[in-house]
Amino acid sequence: MEPIIQVRDLTRDYRLTHKREGVAGGLVDLIRPRRRVLRAVDNVSFSIDPGEMVGYIGANGAGKSTTIKMLTGILTPTAGTVRVGGLVPWSDRLQYTRHIGAVFGQRTQLWWDLAVVESFRLLKKIYEVSDDVYARQMGVFNDLLGIDEFLHQPVRKLSLGQRMRCDLAAALLHQPRILFLDEPTIGLDVVAKENVRVFLREIRDLQGVTVILTTHDLGDIEQLCRRVIIIDKGKVHFDGDLEDLRVRVGRRVRLSLELREGISSDRLVGLTAGLPVSWEANEGKLHLAEFRREEVSGADVIKAVVNAFPVSDLHLAEPAIEEIVRDIYRASGKGQA
Amino acid sequence: MKDGGSTAAVAATPADPARLVPWSRSVPATLGLYFTFIRLAFLKFLAYRLRYYTGVVSYTVFVTGHYYIYRALFASTVAEPGQPVLIGGLTLPEMITYVAVGWIGRSFYFNNIARELSRMIQEGEIAMNLIKPFHLQTVMMFEVVGEAAFRLLMFTLPIVIVIVPVFDVMAPPRPDLYGWTFLSFLLALVIYSQWNFLIGCLAFYLKNIQGVLRAQMVSMDFLTGVILPFSMFPGWFQTVTAWLPFQGISYIPVTIYLGKRTGPDLYQAIGIQLAWAVGLFIAGRLLYRYSVSKVIVQGG
Repeated sequence: MEPIIQVRDLTRDYRLTHKREGVAGGLVDLIRPRRRVLRAVDNVSFSIDPGEMVGYIGANGAGKSTTIKMLTGILTPTAGTVRVGGLVPWSDRLQYTRHIGAVFGQRTQLWWDLAVVESFRLLKKIYEVSDDVYARQMGVFNDLLGIDEFLHQPVRKLSLGQRMRCDLAAALLHQPRILFLDEPTIGLDVVAKENVRVFLREIRDLQGVTVILTTHDLGDIEQLCRRVIIIDKGKVHFDGDLEDLRVRVGRRVRLSLELREGISSDRLVGLTAGLPVSWEANEGKLHLAEFRREEVSGADVIKAVVNAFPVSDLHLAEPAIEEIVRDIYRASGKGQA
Repeated sequence: MKDGGSTAAVAATPADPARLVPWSRSVPATLGLYFTFIRLAFLKFLAYRLRYYTGVVSYTVFVTGHYYIYRALFASTVAEPGQPVLIGGLTLPEMITYVAVGWIGRSFYFNNIARELSRMIQEGEIAMNLIKPFHLQTVMMFEVVGEAAFRLLMFTLPIVIVIVPVFDVMAPPRPDLYGWTFLSFLLALVIYSQWNFLIGCLAFYLKNIQGVLRAQMVSMDFLTGVILPFSMFPGWFQTVTAWLPFQGISYIPVTIYLGKRTGPDLYQAIGIQLAWAVGLFIAGRLLYRYSVSKVIVQGG
């Protein structure tokens, strides 16, 4: 299938001024400012097929938002190309923006002083949405997001969760082909987060929209995306299936044990001497072991412990994606050094 | 905003899923959209109408102050025998009318879009406008029209009702000048808002634009002729103002009202305003486009 989004060697520099210290330094700055170039996005390339839902993840300042800004046409890159459905976002802006929707978690695209419904009516005019489509979309949004209850309140009176629901609906009213979500769950409580995720899943299945999602809440990714792109310091470190990512890092498993009596972890290390298991050094009843599933089975480890000590409770857990990402960062950091 | 002949509806499931379908907005849809912006701006200001009631008082105070200053000034000036006292070529009733019409006009064309635009740029809110298929400049201009319609009704009209009888403001020498004056103030609205748009764009380049905004607000009232008629200034100053857009904001409409421009002079004055309105609009479009492509939008 031909990809809808093609990003090639995308690079964006920011120029920063470094302030010198003190009064004398300040005066020198006036005449000769010290400038430094920060490469926020560094030779990023990827392509996305129509209908894909891709998680674009990275730490704060990794270059996520800068990439999204270039993909939405807000920012012009220093170098590289982006083509979305045959258009260049920043130069074909009027044509291009008709086909995209965007939600920036920290901002609203609704008109602050107006009732929510006025914003929707305006968007209907801006995107020339027909009456039929408008009625149908609003029906869908109400079923999934329950926006009817606050449709007549001014935007400034909405809670963050309500506002986010409205913003999502606003970004999708005109049936965009591509949806950009920049931290859509930021600042939301658990219930509101779940609402947003369920909505996004439904809308992906219902309307076949291509979605790029940036977040540093990896729960979003785990529940929504099959494919992830990990970016750090402006560079792509991983691009592939979430499952592959887990395999690449290895299926690390964590075993937590609660024993009847407190012992030193050294004795546990002795018990599993033949197995590739690492114990966290500890005294007492609670102990933590880590191992790789492909190297040793959980049952063998548990058997070794249970045979020697009375165990009151135990728990086996796969690592959260957050830890996987941390591992990726760590690995790439070593690679550079 | 392309004015395409027909509406190309965007299909929900296009033939080629990797292509974006070309699109254009029809002329009626474009007009409808702009009318919506006018209407929404009108509604928005209506919601904040309370603050304009105090404006009626302060404008009346301004005019009252000028009224007494000019009365004293005219009383202390000695005229040629048999002639009325003239200052800057105006008699006292004309001078009072100049001041009153100037401030009445200001109550109509005034707006804050330089401040609004610079705030949007500095807080990064402009990003939300860049992802929509419209020209922000055009949208803001129609919002200004909506604001002006609101001001005309809720601000200018009350001021006229208070000021005109109290200070014996003269009618124009010919009734058709009412129409010309109104047309001229409409053009003043465009010039004022487009100048403000240009100033607002400076926020792309300046970290702190508050000083610039304050300086331009104060100097504007001088350069437009609201504070003093140009004819009271020295010759070189008049030459300078003749080459600036600001005379088209107050001096030209008010002198039209006073009947100081007739026949070809009148058409020429309107022509100058029209040229500035179009010129500033184009300059704003170019500067905005250049700024957006060159300058980083701040913040998230």
